[in-house]
Amino acid sequence: MKTNTKYFGEIEYGEEDVYTFPKGLFGFEDENAFLMLPFSADGTLFSLQSLKTAGLSFVAVDPFTVKPDYAPELQPDELKEMGVSDSHELFFYALCAVKDPAANSTLNLRCPIAINDSRVAMQVILEDDRYGMRHLLSDAEKREAEPC
Amino acid sequence: MLILRRKVGESLLIGENIKVTLLDAGDGGARLAIDAPKSIPILRSELVHAVDANRDAANEQSQPQDLLQMLGAREEREKEE
Repeated sequence: MKTNTKYFGEIEYGEEDVYTFPKGLFGFEDENAFLMLPFSADGTLFSLQSLKTAGLSFVAVDPFTVKPDYAPELQPDELKEMGVSDSHELFFYALCAVKDPAANSTLNLRCPIAINDSRVAMQVILEDDRYGMRHLLSDAEKREAEPC
Repeated sequence: MLILRRKVGESLLIGENIKVTLLDAGDGGARLAIDAPKSIPILRSELVHAVDANRDAANEQSQPQDLLQMLGAREEREKEE
């Protein structure tokens, strides 16, 4: 199948590449199918591309690259919805608000995208208030570089 | 701002048709029951902020590829040749 994308023009994809968001994302409840298109070869930066709206893409980051001790925990009802018993069974991505200059970009660690083995995904709001919705990417980077 | 103290099981009324009852309160937070007409939207305030953050994330102001250097990632150039 073919689809138009915001960053990669027209691309070819298969059914198995589709991530299903039964409830959409917050504020985008009608967007239920996405592709994860990598910007980089090492799996740190992706375009979460809507299949329904070619112009809609979220920049998704592997949160553990930015914050190695990131420990998202879903609530019991959310785990049930995802069909798992533990948050460790899920993959997580954080959405990035890309600013100009890029150093001002922020990462939403409070509302990650959780994905299960069947590529069913949901965005959650973590109870853990250590995580904010607008972490400066450059800050996180600095913190990571500091010796423990 | 009005600040009230309520015991578990006690309620308060907002206007004529909104009733908020404190169901229980503990270390993990308090549980509230809200009785209101269907026409009144009730949202967790975080949800409103989450929607704002998503709208920002859908509206990139510079090239996402610019982030790669910050993330210490290799660009996918080798593949393109």
